[in-house]
Amino acid sequence: MTNPVWKVPYNYLPEQFKNRDDIFDAWRDLANSAEFTLGPSVNEFENNFKKYIGSKYCIATNNGTDALILGLKALGVRPGDEIITVPNSFYATTGAIIACGAYPVFVDVDETYQMDVEKIQESITHKTRCILPVYWGGASPRMLKIVEIAKKNNLSIIEDACMAIGGSHKGIKSGRFGNVSAFSMHPLKSLNVMGDGGMITTDDDEIYEWLKKYRNHGMVDRDHIDIWGVNSRIQPLQAIVANIELNKIDAIIAKRNINARYLDESLNKFSPNINIPPRFQDDIDTFSLYMFTCKNRDGLLNFLRDNGIDAKIHYLVPLHLQVAAKPLGYSKGSFPQTELQANSIITIPAHQYLTQTQLDYMVEKIGLFYTQL
Amino acid sequence: MADSEVIPYIDFSHKNSEIRADLINAFEKVIDGGQYIQGTEVLNFESEFAQYCGTNFGIGLANGTCSLTLILKSFKFPTNSEVITAPNSFIASASSITLAGLRPVFVDVSEDMNMNPELLEEAITENTRAIMPVHLTGRPAKMEAINQIAKRHNLIVIEDAAQAVGAMVDGKKVGGLGDFASFSLHPLKNLHAYGDAGIVTCNSEDTAKRLQILKNHGLVDRSTCDIFSSNCRLDEMQAAFLRIQLRKLDAWTLERRRLAHRYNEKLNDVVDVPVENSNEYHVYQTYMIKASNRDNLQKHLKTAGVETSIHYPVPIHLQPAAKNLGYKVGDFPITEKLSHLILSLPLYVGLSEKSQDYVIEHIRNFYERKLSLD
Repeated sequence: MTNPVWKVPYNYLPEQFKNRDDIFDAWRDLANSAEFTLGPSVNEFENNFKKYIGSKYCIATNNGTDALILGLKALGVRPGDEIITVPNSFYATTGAIIACGAYPVFVDVDETYQMDVEKIQESITHKTRCILPVYWGGASPRMLKIVEIAKKNNLSIIEDACMAIGGSHKGIKSGRFGNVSAFSMHPLKSLNVMGDGGMITTDDDEIYEWLKKYRNHGMVDRDHIDIWGVNSRIQPLQAIVANIELNKIDAIIAKRNINARYLDESLNKFSPNINIPPRFQDDIDTFSLYMFTCKNRDGLLNFLRDNGIDAKIHYLVPLHLQVAAKPLGYSKGSFPQTELQANSIITIPAHQYLTQTQLDYMVEKIGLFYTQL
Repeated sequence: MADSEVIPYIDFSHKNSEIRADLINAFEKVIDGGQYIQGTEVLNFESEFAQYCGTNFGIGLANGTCSLTLILKSFKFPTNSEVITAPNSFIASASSITLAGLRPVFVDVSEDMNMNPELLEEAITENTRAIMPVHLTGRPAKMEAINQIAKRHNLIVIEDAAQAVGAMVDGKKVGGLGDFASFSLHPLKNLHAYGDAGIVTCNSEDTAKRLQILKNHGLVDRSTCDIFSSNCRLDEMQAAFLRIQLRKLDAWTLERRRLAHRYNEKLNDVVDVPVENSNEYHVYQTYMIKASNRDNLQKHLKTAGVETSIHYPVPIHLQPAAKNLGYKVGDFPITEKLSHLILSLPLYVGLSEKSQDYVIEHIRNFYERKLSLD
């Protein structure tokens, strides 16, 4: 909820949708056309999005979690398969694997907060079906290296690019490395809608044909049901918002990068109290989350929040230490880097609507906290 | 009367114009509130809808398929478990069972198109865990008989109320007639979102809490994941629109019933019209007749500009998807017979008597002309 007392709010949505005339007009037309089940607005968005990513196909889904679940199923993931992923993501990454009856096999992350590519090979068994790297926060894992490992071991890749719409690695767009890629348009993502929405991209004809049916009750047409399917259609209302916002995404990411660079430079002065992760010149980070690790994290978090800065933690408890993960058999110490980061990481606003004054205010307060220490 | 009219199967324009100003206000309010996921509109809609159905809890969901599936998943039944439903419904009545990893078992329907309780007992095996009757077309299933059998065999009853919001038996609304009920709020439903939406009703607080967690990644709070699950939340914006619709629902249902009764009166000598028992309150989500020579009648109406629909021409047990269940033609004779007779006529709030008369006239002259040819 937007709290009027925040001097630096995390939620920028009322600002983003201050001018909503174009959305309103399109929604009114939709209400009159009554095309509420897939239809032209969804087709148009899927076409625009696949062009933007450079994929052959796009299938829009109800949300990013469904994009992962449907993507895994489309890759033929079966109960008992092992999927290699990271323990420092949003719950949905692991939730999607469990929803397919498969097992998440976690590998630790490195100092970039991304999958440690050196640790993948040792986690591969004869049950491994695919690798599911996450673009955590919007930065890219070492995707070319991951593709190499997958090829060598004959594994497929599904990218969790939920936070990385518009990002890239060595000039290649996020979402162009996997056999399938999943994206989210949850309200606080780089491309966002006014609710839930997600997409899958792929270049594979068979996967596309299967997904098109599976997403909509297994229907070939209204009266013929080929396979047991789900309802995971994107809402046409949201496809309309996505279509409009897609035109702005590169500008949004550019502005977030300017903010992030300014924060990086300003906050580096507080090293070693603050540790900014390595940045890569030839990658584009969407900065869906602007994160760094720091000393006395809980103290800093409370201090910033008391001073009207809506700082957050993503996330306090890693996936392998959640109650839900008990059956997986991991324990404290299983993933030292992830656990270290969970205890010291913080997220501060870096979104496109921040003013220079707000950026300076955050830097000032963070500096003040550590000089008082 | 005009020689050629176009009468669509459904038309939202009347309803839309009636609530346009409220919809716009809701749109502005949600946008400015900045909370687009799981905000106060969802919470308010959940409690208002539960109150409408006379139940303790409502759990808003992404769509009606999710709501059926989530109820079934919440029990953790063993994988060989069976759930009994009707084969003449929308595919989701059965696919939700398979999506929950369980096996659909069908029971044929009666002439009222709902599950025949007399056939129920013989379909129950040691693996049966739940009965999922469908209130097809908006007419309540024979819940009293079904509940009695369920009680005797210690089975859970889940109402598939996707088509029946507001329908009643003995003055009691569907949604509160079993252990759980699942509603779809898809645009073709009497209470609908402007896109996909669904809701579950129940009286058990524990189950309601569990479903709330399951629909939102298994999260108890932002940092605590109790069980890995998926995302099937109801959109905040859709919830705001649904609250507006809910306030109009009873008036709109009355209008549907008036139009349905008008069809009944003027068609009952040429086709089989839906019969309403004295203790039932049918909400006519679809106005479905049984008509001889159905396909030609549909063509005849189409030529006259009247759009009709068939719900559904291929029963679930005969769909390619259902091959793994091992059913064949002849297994459910009433369902199969009905699939050749049923036809859904235009019926919506805003359908004028003049347009309705046009539909009636063309149905009547189809049979009268046929008689004269015979």
